[in-house]
Amino acid sequence: MKKLHTNLPKVPCWRYGKHLQPILLAMFLLLSPILAYGQVATVTGTITDDTGDPLPGVNIVLKGTSSGTLTDINGNYSLDVPDENAVLIFSYIGFTTAEVIVGTQSVIDFALVPDVTALDEIVVIGYGTTKKTDLTGAVGTLSGESIYQRQTIKAAEALQGTMPGVTVTRTDGRPGADPVIRIRGTTSIGNSNPLVLIDGVPSSLNNINPKDIESISVLKDGASASIYGSRAAAGVILVTTKRARSGELEVDYTYEYVSRKPTRLPNNVGAQDYMQFINERNWNDAGNMGSEFPTYDEALIANYPSSHAQDPDSYPNTDYSTFFSDYVPSQRHLISFKGGTESVSSLVSMSYNKNDGFSDNHSYETFTIRNNNDITFNKILSAHLDFNYQNSYEKRENGYPMLNLMRRSPLGLAFWSDGRAANTAFRSDMAKHRLGGTNKTSIDEIRGRFKLDLKPVKGLVISGMVSPSFNFVRGKTHAKAVPIYDLGNPSSVGFASAAATTKVTETRNNSNTMLTQFLANYSYTLAEDHSFSLLGGYENYSVFAEGLTASRDGYVLSNFPYLNLGPLDLRDNSGSANESVLRSYFGRLSYGFKGKYLVQVNARYDGSSRFHQDYRWGLFPSISAGWVASNEPFMEGLQAVSFLKLRASLGSLGNERIGNYPYQSTIAFSNALIYSGTTPTSFQTAFIPQYAVQDISWESTESWDIGLDANFLNNSLQVTVDYFKKTTRDMLLRLEIPRYVGLSNPNQNAGEMYTKGWEFGVLYGNSIGGLQYTVSANIFDSKSIMGDLKGTQFLGNKVKLEGSKFNEWYGYRTDGLFQTQEEVDNSVTLRASTKPGDIKYLDIGGPGGVPDGFINEDDLTLLGGSLPRYQYGGNISLAYKNFDLSIIFQGVGKVNSYKPLHMVIPDHYGVPDFVYGNTWSSYNNAEKNKQAPYPIGGEAGRSHNYKTSDYWLFNGSYFRLKNVIMGYSIPSQIIEKTGMKDLRVYVNLSDLFSIDNRLPGWDPEQDPFSRGYFITKAYILSISAKF
Amino acid sequence: MKSKIIFFLSIGILFNSCDDLDLNPLSEGSSATWYSSDQEIRMSLDYLYDLKFWEPNPTQTSIINPRWLDSFSDDLTSRNNLNTMTNGSLDGNSRYVVEQWDFLYQAIAAANLIIEKLENTNSAIAESNVNQYIGEARFVRAVMYSKLIFHWGDVPYIDRTVNIDEAFSLGRTDKDQILQTAFADFNFAADNLPVSHGGVQYATKGAALALKARFALYMGEYAVARDAAKAVMDLGAYELNPDFEEQFLSKTKFSSESIFLIPRSAALNVNMAFWGTIYEPLSRIKGAAYVQPSWDLFSSFLCTDGLPIDQSPLYNPRKPFENRDPRLTATIVEHGTQFGYWKYEPHPDTLTVVHMETGLVQPNTNNRAVLQWGSFNGTAWRKGIDLDWYGDHLTDPDHVIIRLADVMLVYAEAMIELNTIDQSVLDAMNNVRARAYKGGAYPVIAATNQTELRTILRTERRMEMAFEAKRYADIIRWRLADKVLNATDYGLLDPEELREKVVQPGLWFFPGVPPIDENGSADFTALYGQGLIKLLSARSFDASKHYLWPIPSKELLINTNMTNNPGY
Repeated sequence: MKKLHTNLPKVPCWRYGKHLQPILLAMFLLLSPILAYGQVATVTGTITDDTGDPLPGVNIVLKGTSSGTLTDINGNYSLDVPDENAVLIFSYIGFTTAEVIVGTQSVIDFALVPDVTALDEIVVIGYGTTKKTDLTGAVGTLSGESIYQRQTIKAAEALQGTMPGVTVTRTDGRPGADPVIRIRGTTSIGNSNPLVLIDGVPSSLNNINPKDIESISVLKDGASASIYGSRAAAGVILVTTKRARSGELEVDYTYEYVSRKPTRLPNNVGAQDYMQFINERNWNDAGNMGSEFPTYDEALIANYPSSHAQDPDSYPNTDYSTFFSDYVPSQRHLISFKGGTESVSSLVSMSYNKNDGFSDNHSYETFTIRNNNDITFNKILSAHLDFNYQNSYEKRENGYPMLNLMRRSPLGLAFWSDGRAANTAFRSDMAKHRLGGTNKTSIDEIRGRFKLDLKPVKGLVISGMVSPSFNFVRGKTHAKAVPIYDLGNPSSVGFASAAATTKVTETRNNSNTMLTQFLANYSYTLAEDHSFSLLGGYENYSVFAEGLTASRDGYVLSNFPYLNLGPLDLRDNSGSANESVLRSYFGRLSYGFKGKYLVQVNARYDGSSRFHQDYRWGLFPSISAGWVASNEPFMEGLQAVSFLKLRASLGSLGNERIGNYPYQSTIAFSNALIYSGTTPTSFQTAFIPQYAVQDISWESTESWDIGLDANFLNNSLQVTVDYFKKTTRDMLLRLEIPRYVGLSNPNQNAGEMYTKGWEFGVLYGNSIGGLQYTVSANIFDSKSIMGDLKGTQFLGNKVKLEGSKFNEWYGYRTDGLFQTQEEVDNSVTLRASTKPGDIKYLDIGGPGGVPDGFINEDDLTLLGGSLPRYQYGGNISLAYKNFDLSIIFQGVGKVNSYKPLHMVIPDHYGVPDFVYGNTWSSYNNAEKNKQAPYPIGGEAGRSHNYKTSDYWLFNGSYFRLKNVIMGYSIPSQIIEKTGMKDLRVYVNLSDLFSIDNRLPGWDPEQDPFSRGYFITKAYILSISAKF
Repeated sequence: MKSKIIFFLSIGILFNSCDDLDLNPLSEGSSATWYSSDQEIRMSLDYLYDLKFWEPNPTQTSIINPRWLDSFSDDLTSRNNLNTMTNGSLDGNSRYVVEQWDFLYQAIAAANLIIEKLENTNSAIAESNVNQYIGEARFVRAVMYSKLIFHWGDVPYIDRTVNIDEAFSLGRTDKDQILQTAFADFNFAADNLPVSHGGVQYATKGAALALKARFALYMGEYAVARDAAKAVMDLGAYELNPDFEEQFLSKTKFSSESIFLIPRSAALNVNMAFWGTIYEPLSRIKGAAYVQPSWDLFSSFLCTDGLPIDQSPLYNPRKPFENRDPRLTATIVEHGTQFGYWKYEPHPDTLTVVHMETGLVQPNTNNRAVLQWGSFNGTAWRKGIDLDWYGDHLTDPDHVIIRLADVMLVYAEAMIELNTIDQSVLDAMNNVRARAYKGGAYPVIAATNQTELRTILRTERRMEMAFEAKRYADIIRWRLADKVLNATDYGLLDPEELREKVVQPGLWFFPGVPPIDENGSADFTALYGQGLIKLLSARSFDASKHYLWPIPSKELLINTNMTNNPGY
């Protein structure tokens, strides 16, 4: 059976797309008159790929003639040849075209070699497809196979490191966590998530079965994306799903087993060191007066190891990592069926994926079904009927158990040695996580897509599409009361904090979307030199969402998580609803002259219900042009250059994602208690929470791009370079207004932002003997500077203000730690109680910019951008006979990272092992204190030393080995008897190691501000069989 | 042709599915039409009764004291820990500062909008109702501004809706000017609000007058405070709860002593669940009940002869709860008495306690000899805390904003400061004190000397109002903070040392009598010098700046018209 890419070196290439060519060719050939010469012989044979799988539909032409044939479903062909000198040309998309002299052979079996440098690739673009060579914008493509091969839980994760300009960030290792995708950096202060369309319908990459993906196109520049107008500012990701072809019949089953483990875990010191440090800390707070054992007395600390050994309940020394599994398993089953006749072809696929979590009460499952059908009524009319269903189910514990690893005292005790939840001080939340019930979320998404294509005349395709989707989110939080016990007391003495009652909360959120679309596509070629393509379309997209939450508290029984069993007097419920509509008209005109000069013009006109009717409509035009220099006569002599194209584009894009009714000041409802007579009674209250700006409208991004595609050495070396600039205007942002206005910050069209960047991608593929290899690498950089914002926006320790970078760190400049009291006395300090060992902030500003002898708001300054720079990725792929190997890496060249308080502060919640012994201390000599990387311990210094400052910034660049994937195809001789066509075994090692400068225990990708799960590494074994 | 029919049919469907682009919020109201009926105005006014404006601790993400202003004072101690205020590191990002500022102004904005709509629109609302509604809104606005100027001094003054440009052009208005407008608001409210409501208990005339009296006193406007307080007392609408202890319990609902309050209700999901664990008496959740009355507060309670402990012959430091003002044992748990299900006993030799219902013998974990993080100074809170705080912590005491005893002491203090001391002053103070003694014999206050009476008033106020979040304002306005918040906090020695130096020589509980100064503050330094007590923490207060709070940093960073208070 045909296997298009399975055995290609697994390249993060942006080249494999949707292949229409064979079908067109086949039709052409079927219609052309077959000229008969004097036939002397018949040649038969089987065409296979390099792994021995038969290839159906391979085009076989007798060289110098128009006669030829196609291989059948089993790869067999039969062709009459005139004489022994005849030459057969075997061609098939994705494989190198081969010529074979017939000679005396009557049976010619041939294995085609995959062509890693295919140029005829068809690329999916907005509302259509084009040949890669004809592209005038910046579009990155990726085959579904290379996405699946990464075997990630979420398809989006597999984009990491694959193409320049596409950044995927994991911040959280929770199996259900969605990674963040950015295209060419940040475009807007608001929503910078790219628009994801699956077969033309707005959707998300989160729950799609990666094996259903045929290809992904990423529209990166303004010209490519502007056909999507108001939602395209942050880029567009087009996903095309697999479809069956006529003549195909295949069943494919894959099983994966995955074992996951956190890449790193933070560690705190044990009980003795902890108590020692807390004493020092509190002694510091008392001005180093009084006892040096203010909290834990001397004898207790000295005897602790033996006390702990004798009575671990009274003298705990808890290592929280013991509450988490070392490795957790997950598995995935994927099965698909493809079959097609001339008039109907159908694909059905199912996947099931189950992941366990690192703690009890945590798991994540997904189930997907997809059915894509194509019906050809006649030459004029065809229909496409797709259906898919996705379910994800996540079960989580109440709270964030992993926090216990970061911020818990070793003196905390979750359970007594007899297993009952303990009532100790500093007790961890583990009892709550283990016994406190669960929080379950199940998401069902059902989507249909019906598309009718009408081809009334040559070159014209008129399509109508209707695609409804129904999304149901069901949540059930069953928070159980967790009774806690004292030692030796059989009855409960209270409840774990925030787990005092049993409560059931049910949420139901459903949303429906409806997309209706009308498209007319006309292409025409005039005198072979002038090719025109014209597209016109209309689209209407509506969203309706409503939700409700209901709860009852104070359940007597803890095992019946249903509302009907709860008490009547602790009931609560709420509801919400919203709707929005987007209506659009769009068009595109493409013109090409002799395949050398290419011009494309796009425009889209969008109206959104989110804006006031006077500010509702926006026009988003774009123009792009390409010059294929290698098609010019003067380039013909340059053998080394096989393809050279220059591209330039300019386009305008929009963003409207700012809530549903931003121009209206809405009245929000809440409740307050007032006595009615002598009974506290709840009254509904009304208030305006947010300041509203009525003339709010689109934000627009103008972007231009200059690019170069060059192939050398017979296309074996391919280079793509792009330089781009984006200007975002009327940015929809929530500017800080004075808090004394008493309303929350409004959305308004206020800001400007300038982004500049470049991308570079290179690929080299060749073969030596039987070894095929491909090496590719990409790098991307962008920098965003804020223009006039008509104000400032703060985000904790980051800021956006005119002239700053996007989300730039904002804080004090520092000069190490104060070493002596004398130094403190002679310096300007932030507060009177500053002591030696505290961070020394610099007085750099004051009214008028002159240092004024105070450290205050005037001394806050920009400390450098927080966004990653020089993001790179790469891939080395090798294939030899039945073996293949891919090595994928990814990294960030430069980033200002921050060590937030909870990573570095030593306090009652735990003393990080890398901080212990490295703080400034009164016990140290002056020399040692000069080397101390961490400030003096103490509550007094807490708010002082951990203010945002350059003291806590560090270089967060990293290099990460993402995947090492080894595959082996069992030789067909061995499996033949079983009826299998193909049997492959994969081993995938993901996130094996990284080189970085992080604090011990912290993964370079882990968001230090998140409370989530730790990033995991995975060992994956998979077996795939085809029948 | 069939296909053409299908095609045109589908095109028809497409164009028919055009949706209307003029959409309005579905589950929220629209501001354009709101404020036009009694019901809508009522709902908007009710928002002002949200507990968050009156006891703001909205985020509840960390263990901070619900009576958070008390944690800024010398009445509270939490083991050997200090907080942003007591360790002297208060700045414009401190959470309390930012949250208070935000909530006060949010309430002002909501009140302004209501007032503006009622004053400017000819609506169907009856004239008499209009004035009452405006009165309620102006009452809330006055309270919020009073708090603002008390903590920050000059602040931006807004009494209408403003657009963004207007907002940025504002600077700080003189606090005296704001005080006068607040008085005007209070007066309007007092004139237009009824003395009592038949059904729903909205703000009353008494509430407006009482809070006016409080803030007038806070701002040193003694004559205004005197008149307003007297007006409240003359209303005759309130009377002291005959049982001091009961006044603060969760079962006491809508007490006749409470002039203005916001209810809580466990049944309606408004409770003290989060805070419960912090105060749970003699907590078996070891170490959680770490917010304790300070020894300084403990020592400030007078003896039953009306004298401070350093003067009274009745005071025995070995039995410090005996012969003391009854409010001591109503505020701080007396050793050896039942509290919760156990007997409270921090004595280092009392290693076990008996559960009073189950009879179970358990380790006495409130004792540091048993558990290292037991009570550091041998005290625990009793005021307002009973068995209702146990278990699920769904405790729902009224949040009383002002009560009659407070107003009576405001009156007395204003009269003393005006030096117009007469029998009415002594009556007010004696009535408050007599109630504590439940009608029994009590030390009658008879002094008429201003200085002498001032000291008595301040001590009386501390005993009466402890743990009601009033102490911080008192030490700020009395300019005592730089003294008492620079003082050192003391507690019990570590168990072994305690046994050796205090218990065995027979010095338990207090090993000596600290001198009490004219403000009622105890000085334990001599005992510390003898090595008989332990230093817990050293507070820090900078008199040059900490009497006013810093303006939130963001206000300064975005608005060039804003200036900060001195020293920040």
